Amino acid sequence: MEILVCLEGSASTARAVDVAMALARALPATLVGLAIVDEPDIVAGAATSIGGASFRKQRDAALLEDAHGQAVAWLAAFVARGRAAGISVRALELAGRPAERILEQVPSHDLVMLGRDVNFRFETQETDRYTRDRILRRAGKPVIVVPETPAPAGAAAMIAYDGSPAATRALSSFARCGLARDRDVHVATVDDDGATAFEIATRGCQLLGKLGVRAVPENVVSTESTTRALLARCAALGAGWIVLGGYVPSPLARLVWGSVTHDLLEHTAVPVFLHY
Amino acid sequence: MSPAAAVLPFVIYLLLIAALPLVAGRFWDHNRNKLAVALAAGLPVAIYLIVAAPHGAEALADTAREYATFMSLLGALFVIAGGIFLRGALAGTPAVNTALLAAGALLANAIGTTGASALLIRPLLRANAHRRHGRHLVIFFIFIVSNGGGLLTPLGDPPLFLGFLRGVPFTWTLRLAAPWASVNLALLAVFFIVDRWHTRRDPPPPRAPDREPLRIEGKLNLVWLLGAAATVYVLGTFGPRWSGSAALQIAALIAFAALSLATTARRIHEANRFSWAPIQEVAVVFVGIFLTMVPALSFMQDHGASLGLTRPWQFFWAAGALSSVLDNAPTYLTFASLATGVVNAAGGQLSVHDLGALAAHPAGHQLLEAVSCGSVFMGAMTYIGNGPNFMVKAIAEQHHVRMPGFFGYLGWSIAILVPVLAAMAIVEL
Repeated sequence: MEILVCLEGSASTARAVDVAMALARALPATLVGLAIVDEPDIVAGAATSIGGASFRKQRDAALLEDAHGQAVAWLAAFVARGRAAGISVRALELAGRPAERILEQVPSHDLVMLGRDVNFRFETQETDRYTRDRILRRAGKPVIVVPETPAPAGAAAMIAYDGSPAATRALSSFARCGLARDRDVHVATVDDDGATAFEIATRGCQLLGKLGVRAVPENVVSTESTTRALLARCAALGAGWIVLGGYVPSPLARLVWGSVTHDLLEHTAVPVFLHY
Repeated sequence: MSPAAAVLPFVIYLLLIAALPLVAGRFWDHNRNKLAVALAAGLPVAIYLIVAAPHGAEALADTAREYATFMSLLGALFVIAGGIFLRGALAGTPAVNTALLAAGALLANAIGTTGASALLIRPLLRANAHRRHGRHLVIFFIFIVSNGGGLLTPLGDPPLFLGFLRGVPFTWTLRLAAPWASVNLALLAVFFIVDRWHTRRDPPPPRAPDREPLRIEGKLNLVWLLGAAATVYVLGTFGPRWSGSAALQIAALIAFAALSLATTARRIHEANRFSWAPIQEVAVVFVGIFLTMVPALSFMQDHGASLGLTRPWQFFWAAGALSSVLDNAPTYLTFASLATGVVNAAGGQLSVHDLGALAAHPAGHQLLEAVSCGSVFMGAMTYIGNGPNFMVKAIAEQHHVRMPGFFGYLGWSIAILVPVLAAMAIVEL
């Protein structure tokens, strides 16, 4: 098994590396550290004042050199840490648009690890939601998104299951990856009607059973939003993982209809296993 | 070629200068390509002037002399300012930052907005290197030091020097002291508040008990600077009575630049990352501007009154709006010519070749004041409005300050600069 670990300088990526190292030991798996030099955005054409062209060239060269230097440093630290821990690791530095470069690598890996607040365009932008969201929407493979907060010690996993094809896909790939092994798994369904929620959650447990994973159904009835209800149940269960299916296709759709997946991703304190 | 058609190369060339870096950055990177574009726009105009325009050859010769004088001053200030380096570290507190910007606003009038920007931006960035929020420092620096500060003398900003070359007295720009003071003081006050607010959110500065005191290196360049300023003042003011004054002025400015190069230690140039590339680019691009503007300015003089601009506030906002997206030097001359046309329509007998008469005219001086304020202040509206704007942005980004994009910066300008300028325009114009 090969896990692609996307490296940059945020605190959430540092936490993602921690989680990746732990997973690599447990599964076991080879880790591939990927750092990107966002050359297209750095050297993108810009309106310049008269006399500004040479300053632009100096600036482009300085930022490219800095981005390359950072990538080399992150990869070196990643490889050194992996080797020290006895984990099989490889390093990969690519130049190009971050989302495109990462998505090109996804098919040859089994899992993708991302920090929640990744900023691959750190030389030119304060934040980079675009790259993360594009990877989540287009990966077609499971992606683990890790927040910067220290994860609770609990090894349990809570699968948010609403019976949809996306949720079913996430549930299945979580089991097939081997991540459900040796941990308590809870299948949680939110509904106004507790009986319906229990029935859907039980169906999820049965699916997991066919894949050799024992799970406990959790019916969640709450006057709060689905996101808050799931986060509260996750905390109550002491779960160290959340498994989610689906991701609203576009920012516009998210604006109009909202997205439980997106909200959970933004507010959870534990790693999220997503498969859209 | 009709007179109106003769304006087209000027308009097209200015639009190309603004658009080509964006749409054909690689092509625009090379000075030979810039020169090709400048000549493609300028040569047809030169041929038209020589072959078809009345007194065209004479106008072309005047323009060549004006170009040489203009470039010799810009070049001399560029070289001399590149030989001065501020070493040491300041404390990046709101009071010190505000004082540095205020000093820059004054200094810009002696060494130009480009020289003051090149001299002060690195000390400002060094002083605030520990801060998480640094973009406001650079944005206000562009507003004040790179633009608004340079309104008081012809040395301050290229548009004003172009006016001086066309006869506006050296000390005339001191009449703009009230708008200069009101705009810059208002911007400094807003900056102080914004900076103090950000300071509270930023980590405290690292303890630096043995902070290197601030000192000027390359002090001899201050002498050359004084010499260049005196040359411009004396020969520009009293020289027109003597035909050889332009050549003498050019020679003297080149001499002061050469003295600066000869007496400046290499380490100072290296510390300033001095390179000829920016001034070469300016020289090449302005070939096209000077060539294409000759018929355009005549057209503005002849038809300015028909364009509907008559009041100072109209000139202020129109010149400012164009200075925001085109370089402010040609914009200044365009609107000064337009003002000449407006005054002539009311019975005046002014010429675009003698803006001194416009500056002395009872109605014309108000229009010229408005054009000067609009061109200088609103050159700060975007990164492309004035030469040093993009230089400052690029240097800041090399120091890891993430600057806003074109429209992000425009948003800051609209939120802060426009209200300040609107208040000034209501009171002063």
